[in-house]
Amino acid sequence: MFNYRLYWTFAKKSFLRSAVYRFDVWSRLGSNVIFLLMWGSIWTVLYAGREEAGGVSFQAMLTYIVVSQFLSGVNGAGTPLWEIQEKVRTGDISLELMRPFDVPLRYLFADFGSVFFYMITALMPLYIILFFFMDLSIPNDPLIWLAFLFAAFIGFLIRYCIEMAFGLLTFFLVETGGVEDIFYFAMSLLSGSVIPLWFFPGWLASFASYLPFQGIYYIPNAIFIGEIAGNQIFTSIGIQLFWVVVTYIFLRLVWKKASQKVVVQGG
Amino acid sequence: MAIIEVEHLMKEFKIAKRETGFLGAMKGLVKREFHTKHAVKDISFTVDKGEMVGYIGPNGAGKSTTIKMLTGILVPSGGTVKVNGIVPYENRQANAKNIGVVFGQRTQLWWDLPTIESFELLKEIYQVSHSRYKENMDTFTEILGLDEFINTPVRQLSLGQRMRADIAASLLHDPPILFLDEPTIGLDVVAKERMRTFIKEINKERDITVILTTHDMEDIEQLCQRMVLIDHGQKVYDGEIAVVKNRFGKIRTLVVDLEQHSTPLTLEKAEVFKEETGRYWIRFNREDISASGVITQITQTHNIKDLTVEEPEIESIISRIYQEGFDGVEQPIPVKSGS
Repeated sequence: MFNYRLYWTFAKKSFLRSAVYRFDVWSRLGSNVIFLLMWGSIWTVLYAGREEAGGVSFQAMLTYIVVSQFLSGVNGAGTPLWEIQEKVRTGDISLELMRPFDVPLRYLFADFGSVFFYMITALMPLYIILFFFMDLSIPNDPLIWLAFLFAAFIGFLIRYCIEMAFGLLTFFLVETGGVEDIFYFAMSLLSGSVIPLWFFPGWLASFASYLPFQGIYYIPNAIFIGEIAGNQIFTSIGIQLFWVVVTYIFLRLVWKKASQKVVVQGG
Repeated sequence: MAIIEVEHLMKEFKIAKRETGFLGAMKGLVKREFHTKHAVKDISFTVDKGEMVGYIGPNGAGKSTTIKMLTGILVPSGGTVKVNGIVPYENRQANAKNIGVVFGQRTQLWWDLPTIESFELLKEIYQVSHSRYKENMDTFTEILGLDEFINTPVRQLSLGQRMRADIAASLLHDPPILFLDEPTIGLDVVAKERMRTFIKEINKERDITVILTTHDMEDIEQLCQRMVLIDHGQKVYDGEIAVVKNRFGKIRTLVVDLEQHSTPLTLEKAEVFKEETGRYWIRFNREDISASGVITQITQTHNIKDLTVEEPEIESIISRIYQEGFDGVEQPIPVKSGS
């Protein structure tokens, strides 16, 4: 039985909680802008005045980076990996086991609240201005917008499942440095957040295409700039849906194992 | 009617052995050796509805581990637990609705938000009806003075306020059972008193079963009729507090610093049980001899530089019971078996 009101309350409280940390909003936004400028300039240099590279125009590439930075702002406003690890280590998550709610769902809804707050107060204003003043390629077809929003949402869920599951692995590991390295490497490179998959060497591109990370940034970005178009959109969203199911099952498995094997520190 | 049944409860933790140095670390990568820590060895007891039981033991005795098994956070390695007819770890969420838990060492409130927000969240979590929520909030506000700080973020509350908020939060959903893990730790005398009064009242008026762990003898004396003593994961005593108090409450320890210690100290009706460079620990039963009686005896042969009389503390009582058993007790202390 799914208790909507309860999880809705988590989202609401989390929204309020984000409002407490206004400085956090501004510093996040600041670093988002810095990364945007950095990757924008890097790609400008890489294109070296050419109109297109690898069949993709400079304008489309710039749009890809802007959309990608927007989505990484959205994804970054959820509970970060280190915080989940911290909550496992301090036993906070273990204590939530004695509450009558589902822990992974509770965190997902809390993330909805904080992401929504960050979106309306910081991300939307900034990116709306960017889209007005920069020469970017914006889809005309409302269906493309719809497909993009849907793909971005599924991407958010995939990222959530992976980040939460990786964080919960702390229950089984004493040292989590390795997990962090894998996670951040995959998030920055294999997801296509800063380099689109079409620029990858063949072997790396096919490696990435067998992994869930492409669903987080690459697919929604590429749909937005029209690099994934027509029937490909359905296939790509199909791939995303496949991965959201797989990562969700993975998260459930890790959570089940973890809650069975909970060892509260200093018990 | 037993509301909590614990039988032959056991909990073992596997702890990875860590070897020092580079080679040790390398070895650890390939093969890990574990040693087992028996946090709870074999504990049985039952608690009746409406009872208030002190669950007492020194640090590391297994108190919190037991509480965590009763709440369902830990799965026992052996034995059985039943709380209000439910096996906690098998049906954690159903069990959650029957229990309220307060951990003195950590808050369960939402750290960054005004206190009231945590209460409202708990109202949703436990699906408390609006009218019941209001009733409870009114009662708790009145007794605990929550209105002083209800709009202050939890992180800005004093420890006393935080504990009051925490205990109110644990009772919002009218649980029949309340677990209090060191609820008065770190509180000043006034705040402790307020806490105790509140616990007493809800136990009496709502017939809530309370299990209380604490290191504060006052807590137990004021709140509980019965106590379960555990040490090294095993039950040492289970019965009335009055019995223990009668037996050990009469024992006093006198600590004296003496100027010279060439002549041995011989005393009647009192014994020296520890001696360290001029300092003597003397134990006596205050029914046999008064403190001044002991002091008079000492001054006949020695010069006293300094002295203190120590009250028996729960820690020392426990360790004495554990080390010495119940030898020399005129009336044997009944050890209730977990029937």
